[in-house]
Amino acid sequence: MQVKLFERFNFVVFISALSLISFGLVAIYSATYGNELVSGNFTKQLVSAVIGIVIVIAIMYTPPKFIAMSSYLFYGLVILMLIAVLFLGKKIKGQTSWFSIGGFGIQPSEFAKVATVLALAFFLSNKSQDTDIKKPRDFFFAVGICLLPVALIMLQPDMGTTLVFLVLILPVLYWAGMPNYIMFFIAAPAITAVCAYLGTWYFVSAVVFIIAMMFVFKRNLLISAVIVCITIASGLSVNMVYSKLQPYQQRRIVSMFDPESDPLGAGYNVIQSKIAIGSGGLTGKGFLQGTQTQLKYIPEQWTDFIFCMVGEEFGFAGSIVVVLLFFVLIWQTIHIAYICKNQFLSICCIGFATIFSFHVLINLGMIMGIMPVIGIPLPFMSYGVSFLLSNLIMLGLILNAYRNRKDYV
Amino acid sequence: MDLSKRKNFYYIFSFAICFIIAGRLVQLQLINPDKFDKDAERNSVKTIVTTPARGLFFDRNGRLLVDNKPSYSVTVTKKEFDTTRMPTICSLLGIDEQYLREELKKIEGTNRFIPTRIMRDVDFRVISFIEENRELLKGIDYSIDPIRLYPTDFRGSHLIGYTKEISQGSLKKQQNDYYKQGDLIGTTGLEAGYENYLRGEKGYEFILQDSKGREVGPLNDGNNDVKAVSGYDLVLSIDAEVQKYAENLLKGRTGGIVAIDPTNGEVICMVSKPDYDLNYFSGKLSPEIWNSLNTDPDKPLFNRATQTRYPPGSTYKMVSAIASLQEGILKPNSTIPCEGSFRFGDKVFKDHGAFGSITIPTSIEHSSNVFYYKLVLKIGLDNWTKYGRMFSFGNKTGIDIPEETKGLLPSTEYYNKVYGPKGWTQGYVVSLGIGQGELGVSPLQMAVYTSILANSGTFFQPHLVRFLKNPNTGELTPVNYKRTELPVNKEYFGLVQKGMYLVVNGNGTARGVRTSEVSISGKTGTAQNPHGRDHSWFIAYAPSDNPKIAVCVMVENAGFGATVAAPIAQRIILKYLFGVNDESDVKEISGHTD
Repeated sequence: MQVKLFERFNFVVFISALSLISFGLVAIYSATYGNELVSGNFTKQLVSAVIGIVIVIAIMYTPPKFIAMSSYLFYGLVILMLIAVLFLGKKIKGQTSWFSIGGFGIQPSEFAKVATVLALAFFLSNKSQDTDIKKPRDFFFAVGICLLPVALIMLQPDMGTTLVFLVLILPVLYWAGMPNYIMFFIAAPAITAVCAYLGTWYFVSAVVFIIAMMFVFKRNLLISAVIVCITIASGLSVNMVYSKLQPYQQRRIVSMFDPESDPLGAGYNVIQSKIAIGSGGLTGKGFLQGTQTQLKYIPEQWTDFIFCMVGEEFGFAGSIVVVLLFFVLIWQTIHIAYICKNQFLSICCIGFATIFSFHVLINLGMIMGIMPVIGIPLPFMSYGVSFLLSNLIMLGLILNAYRNRKDYV
Repeated sequence: MDLSKRKNFYYIFSFAICFIIAGRLVQLQLINPDKFDKDAERNSVKTIVTTPARGLFFDRNGRLLVDNKPSYSVTVTKKEFDTTRMPTICSLLGIDEQYLREELKKIEGTNRFIPTRIMRDVDFRVISFIEENRELLKGIDYSIDPIRLYPTDFRGSHLIGYTKEISQGSLKKQQNDYYKQGDLIGTTGLEAGYENYLRGEKGYEFILQDSKGREVGPLNDGNNDVKAVSGYDLVLSIDAEVQKYAENLLKGRTGGIVAIDPTNGEVICMVSKPDYDLNYFSGKLSPEIWNSLNTDPDKPLFNRATQTRYPPGSTYKMVSAIASLQEGILKPNSTIPCEGSFRFGDKVFKDHGAFGSITIPTSIEHSSNVFYYKLVLKIGLDNWTKYGRMFSFGNKTGIDIPEETKGLLPSTEYYNKVYGPKGWTQGYVVSLGIGQGELGVSPLQMAVYTSILANSGTFFQPHLVRFLKNPNTGELTPVNYKRTELPVNKEYFGLVQKGMYLVVNGNGTARGVRTSEVSISGKTGTAQNPHGRDHSWFIAYAPSDNPKIAVCVMVENAGFGATVAAPIAQRIILKYLFGVNDESDVKEISGHTD
């Protein structure tokens, strides 16, 4: 019986996710401790987690075929919600990103992450329509699936979240069989643009690197030349666009990469969060003993800056456990994607692994001052009902993939 | 698909991400934790906003008109403020708890780290009290803010204008988040017109505090501090002496005066009476005073120099004269018979005399009504409107304060809209010929019109400010203003000018203000007032052959233009040109003794 259970249920993924949620709850409890305004957040998150785990089990036992068939429906529903939120949503800090239905706050952009991966996976694994990602038509359709929510979320506007969808494209397409050189052609302009922003020498070296790669791939000369031209143009346009921006817009970009240049705005939080984590030391200051956390130096710490509390109160020991849990979770998800014979579920897993990795990198990187200030939350830990539920739906699907890993579809 | 190879990419990426994060954790928490520990200990960063000095005002002769003086404001920093301590704090500061609650509500959703003013212009005792009781008053502090000081002996209420605490509405509407709750913003007059130049840029100092609120030192050695930049000073075209004199002349009356330099559109003085004391708005404005200013039936806040809309009466006749000449309806020496009354349809329009067949200059000199009844019908409404618009009637003149009316310049479209295409007759147009009826103008528009007549056809956008002065370098930046030439033959202005000369120096309606010192040209006018006594108009410029000042005086409920408005205009002209300052003049005209 024991063996049988392990056979169909991946405890490693489940336990690491559960541990992360528990860490998150502890952190939220500490971060909202003694703050009347948000004292309900802990309970809300706890209730969501319990409901979410029921959903996880339900999803795990749902037949994969049924999930695949309802992918487009789910995607369509989410797109409608993204449109609706623009009209019915509440404006908070300049973003119209959520609305309430019957007393529950719903943030459609979080569910859009799951829905987009599902739709993308369904399209790429669709045997009946004979999808071939090397065909331009199918390629653009796949990219379009990602770009539609991007366009709608940009209207909110929530730039951090749109990045998640853009980042999805390459890893998912690569997993679905996109040839190496096409991957490279897509990535090249983006790499060059970032390098061009960083400086002339970065730009020049990026161009040299891309030209060198052209020789490695040995494609048709005309195509190679076009790719190089597009690459250079994208690099040059960055500075042109930048110089046309209003000074305050430029300042916002600068402060994204160099938070400390704006100690009043974005930089303030980062300066504070670095101090919080740094002052935690090896073992931390103890639960509810963190001065940074308890004296509320970091605004709304229970959302994007939740990791500060772990860093400060539990120190390196606690923090490294969290990082390891994320590592195990992501590593296992990739492993499940590899061993799962059902291509639809396999692609889903890769999509979710990408989403988790990106969130962890950007969120923790930002808090520790090595990534630009882009406001996206930490999976399973940050406070937010929609965000937690969407993470748990992903978990359910990963467990489903493991359970049905041996079924070919 | 060979996923066994591809999966390694994903493993490598996820490993790299976790490795980078773990590495950074080691760097922050293990290698150099002491540094952050100390930072955390003394971490609380206090932000001090330094309010820049608002730009000063100088008159055309360099006399200081508007100055700043320091005042103290009590501030609250939400991050540090403990709401449970509210009763103690309120009793210590001697303020109402309800008041503090309301003030705190206003700043909800703003930056918690920046102190916000809750009381302005407090007594110095309160400040020393805060200094002594810092431990008890956590989150409460004070700031030194410059407030306005008016070292002049005139009012200039409407032209200088006042600053007020920014309203909730404007706070939400602002573009780049510069203003915070409790900030002052120019609300009327030049304070509003030049707000972006006057205000300067706020500065920020970041000071580290320990957990007991004691200052430890500047954050990052002050490298992050932003210095406040003082606002630009304004050098006005106003002549303080003339302004004061004109205000006295109008004391006790209701009306407006605008005097303009016809060679460049600079406003020499601008008076609106009744007015109010700008000192009310410096520091904290008591709600009682604000209410009484708002409910006063005399409307002291209303700028009568730029916002009234009365018919100009006979002062408007020159528009018809110019239009008829330029359109070729009258030749310079044409005459029109003036019988003493004019019948149009079944209505009889009266005149104050029969003048026989007269030319344009004579018609102006005697202010014949019949002449202009007939003339306006020949010109037609459309042409009449077109010329009115050239003189900037029916439009804003573009003066550099926000309070300005367009007035009302009736046109065919206007009448069609109001009465329907068949609901009005040419009889409506007859009244317009003598500046009555729906036509509505402000003293400012009339002064601009006078200066165009005086300089033979050049419109200068009227302006109160000559230069913006950089307070640090003293560098002067001239203010741009529009200049347009009217498409009218200069020679025709000569005829009108001759008529206006005769009004004062011939046998005209304002011969009472003739003076040997300078030849004045002018025109009287009386605005029919259905609600009471007529309003009195006088426009004039001088010297007649080389105009240096164009002035418009409008006095409400003062009857015929020549009796009240004309002497005031004459005194202002003499004062500006020769500096004559006879206090008895003031008393004689205003009928007031102080």
